[in-house]
Amino acid sequence: MERLLTNYYETSSIILFGIGFATLLLHSNLIKKIIGMNIMDTSVILFLIAKGYIHGKASPIVVGEFKGVSEYVNPIPTSLMLTGIVVAVSTTAFALALTIKMYEKYGTIELDEILEKGDE
Amino acid sequence: MKDKILNTVGKNLIPFIQIFGLYVIFHGHLSPGGGFAGGTIIGVSFILYRIIFGKEFVQNKLRFSLLIRFLTIGVFIYGVMKGYIFISGGSDLHWATPPLGIPGSIISGGFLLPLNIIVGTVVSVTMYFFYCLFEEGEI
Amino acid sequence: MTIIKSFPLIGVLILFLIAFIMPLIKKNSVVKFLSIASFSTCLVLFVVSLNYVIHNGSYFYKIGHFVAPYGIEFSIGIIECIMAVLFAFISLIISWYSCYSIEHDVNESKVPLYYLLINILVGSLLGIIFSNDMFNVYVFIEISNLASCGIVVVKDKKENIRAGIKYLILSCLGSGLVLMGIAFLYSMTGHLNMTFIHENLINSYMNYPQAIIITLGLFTVGIGVKSALFPLHTWLPDAHSNAPTSSSAMLSSLVLKAYIIFLIKVLYRVMGNEIISETPILFVLLALGSLGMIMGSVLAIFQKNLKRIIAYSSVAQIGYIYFAIGLGTELGFVIAIYHIIGHAITKSALFLCSGSIIEKTGIKEIANLKGVGKEMPYTLSLFLISSLSLVGIPLLPGFVSKWYLAIESIGVNKLYLIVIILVSSLLNAVYYLPISIHGFFNEEQSSSKLYKSKEKSVKELMPITILVIAMLYVGVNSEGIINLIKTTFV
Repeated sequence: MERLLTNYYETSSIILFGIGFATLLLHSNLIKKIIGMNIMDTSVILFLIAKGYIHGKASPIVVGEFKGVSEYVNPIPTSLMLTGIVVAVSTTAFALALTIKMYEKYGTIELDEILEKGDE
Repeated sequence: MKDKILNTVGKNLIPFIQIFGLYVIFHGHLSPGGGFAGGTIIGVSFILYRIIFGKEFVQNKLRFSLLIRFLTIGVFIYGVMKGYIFISGGSDLHWATPPLGIPGSIISGGFLLPLNIIVGTVVSVTMYFFYCLFEEGEI
Repeated sequence: MTIIKSFPLIGVLILFLIAFIMPLIKKNSVVKFLSIASFSTCLVLFVVSLNYVIHNGSYFYKIGHFVAPYGIEFSIGIIECIMAVLFAFISLIISWYSCYSIEHDVNESKVPLYYLLINILVGSLLGIIFSNDMFNVYVFIEISNLASCGIVVVKDKKENIRAGIKYLILSCLGSGLVLMGIAFLYSMTGHLNMTFIHENLINSYMNYPQAIIITLGLFTVGIGVKSALFPLHTWLPDAHSNAPTSSSAMLSSLVLKAYIIFLIKVLYRVMGNEIISETPILFVLLALGSLGMIMGSVLAIFQKNLKRIIAYSSVAQIGYIYFAIGLGTELGFVIAIYHIIGHAITKSALFLCSGSIIEKTGIKEIANLKGVGKEMPYTLSLFLISSLSLVGIPLLPGFVSKWYLAIESIGVNKLYLIVIILVSSLLNAVYYLPISIHGFFNEEQSSSKLYKSKEKSVKELMPITILVIAMLYVGVNSEGIINLIKTTFV
C-alpha cells in the first residue's frame, strides 16, 4: 500500500488505464467507447511522461548556457508521447467519422441495437 | 454570416492568429513549437474563418482539390527529403546536405526548417479537413 | 555495394511515396499501374536483399545518422527478408487481380483512395517486420490499423461500416495494450531498441518477476486481438467477409501475419529463451492455438456464407501458427514461419477464387452454389487445389506443416497434440470438400447450366493461377525453404 502511494503517478495511470479499458469494452454507446479509448491512451501518456520526469530538474530546452546532462529531465518519453498524441488524434478522428457514417446508416449509435439490426 | 461583431472581430483576429502560427513554425528549430504546433494554430484560424464566414463563402476560397494537392505534395516532398537523409546516413554515403548555418539564426539547422514548413502545411490542412469531415460527414 | 544494404528501406519508402502521388492522378488506370509498379519494384528490391543476406549474413541498418541506442534501426535477417519477399509478391498478385474487379466493389471515385490505402498498408506491415525499435513498431501498427480499417469501410455499405467499426474498436484496444507493454519495457530497461532491451533484461529480469509476466500478458493479449487468436477473434469473420474481395485477401493473408511476426520478435528477440521458459506464456499460446484449431473449424462448419467459411478457416489456421510457436522448440519456430508462408499464399488464392465466384454468379450462400463447377470450371478447380492444401493432401504446404507439427509433438512427448492436429484436419475436410464436390458433381442443378457460361477470361484468371503455382512450389520445395529458415539458428 505504501509503495502504491509513493509511486502515485504509476498507480493513477494504471487505474485510468483500467477505467478506459472497461469503458471501451463494456459500454455499448460508440461515443463512450471512443472516450474510453482516449482515456486509455492518456493513461499511457501519463505513465511514460512520469517515467521521464526527474524532480527538481529543468525542462530540456537550452536557454543561455548548457548546464550539463544531469540538470535536465529525460526528453525521450516526452517526444515519444508527442507522436503518441498524434496517433491518438488520428485514430479518434477516424473513429468519430465512422460513428457519423454509422448514425446516417442505422439511425443509432448504440452498438447493441446495431448488431441486432444487422441480422435482418 | 450577417453578425457585424463576429465579422469585424474575425477579420481582425484571423491574420494575427496566422502570423503567430507562422512564427511558431519558422522558429521551430530554435525554440519550443515547430511544425505540428504551428500547423495546428494555422488550422484553427482556417476553422474560425469557416465558422464565421459560412460554408459556401469559404469553400470558394479554400477549395478542397487545392488543399488536397497541398497535402499530398507536402507529404511527398517530406518523404523524399527524409528518404534522402535516411539513405545517406544509413549507408554512410555522406551525400551533400544544406549548410548548418549559425546557431540561433532563422536560416540554420540544415533540413529542419523546410521540414517544419512542410509539416506545418500538412497539419494545418489536416486540421481543417477534420473539421469539415465532422461538419459534413464526408469530404 | 553499400547501397544494397539500404534496399529494404528504399522499398518501404517507395510504397509510401507512391501512395501519396495517387490522389493527384485523375485516371484510374494510371493509379492501378502505379500500384503494380511499386509492388513489383519492391519485389525486385527484396529479392536482391534476400540474396545479399543469404550470402553475407544478417545486419543492422541504422536509419539516419544516429547509431543504435539513440537512433532507429532496421534489423535485416533471413526471416525478415523472406517475409518481405512474400508480402511484396502477394500484394503484387492481389493488386493485379483487383485491377480487373475493383470497380465491382468500390465506387469509381474512391479507387485512388483504395490503392493509396493498400500501398500504405503494405508499407507499414513491412515496417513492422523490419523495424528493430519498439516505438517505431507501435507507430507502424497504428498506421496499418487505420489503413486496414480503411480498406474494409471503403465499400460504403451498411455491413461494412458495422464490421469496420467493430474492427477499429477491438484493434484500438489491442494497440493500447501493446503501447502499455512498451511503456512497461521502457520503464524496466530505459531502452526502446530491441537488442538493448534484451541485453538489459538478461541482466536484471530476476528483479521484476511480476512485471515480466504482466508485460508478456499485455503483448500476448494485444497482439492476439489483432491477429485473431481464438477467443479474441470476434471481429474477424465480419470484417473479412464483408470487405471487398481483394481487401479480404490482403487482410487475411498479410495483416494477421505481420502482427504474429511482431509477437515472435517480442518473445525471442526482446525476451529471449531464458526468460520465456520461466513463464507459462508458451503453454498459454499452445492451449489457445489448439483451441482455435478445433473451434475455428467447428464454427466454420455452421456457416452458410462462402466468404464467412473462409474467414473462420483463417481463425483455425492462425491457431496452427500459435500452436507451432507454443511448442517452443526450434523446429516449432521454423514451422510457424513456414506455415505463415504457406497459409498466406493459400488463403489469398482461396479468397480471390471465392471472390470471383461471388462476383460472377452474384450468389453468396453455398447452398445455392451447387453446380457452379459447370459454369466456372477453372475457377473452381483452383479453389479445389487450394482447399486441398488446407485439408492436408501430401505435396501441398498445408500437409508439410501438419506433418512436421506431428513429428514435433512426438518430439516434445505430447502425443495428445497429434489427435488435435488430426481432428482439425478432418474438420477442415468436412467444410471445404463439400463446396467443390457439390460444385462439380451436382447433376440436377448443373444440367440447366451452360458449360463455361460465367467463366472469367484467361487474363483475369492469371493472378490466381500464379498463386496456385507458387503454392505448389512452396509445397514441393518445402525442404529447401525449411533449411533456409533453419540457417537463422546457426
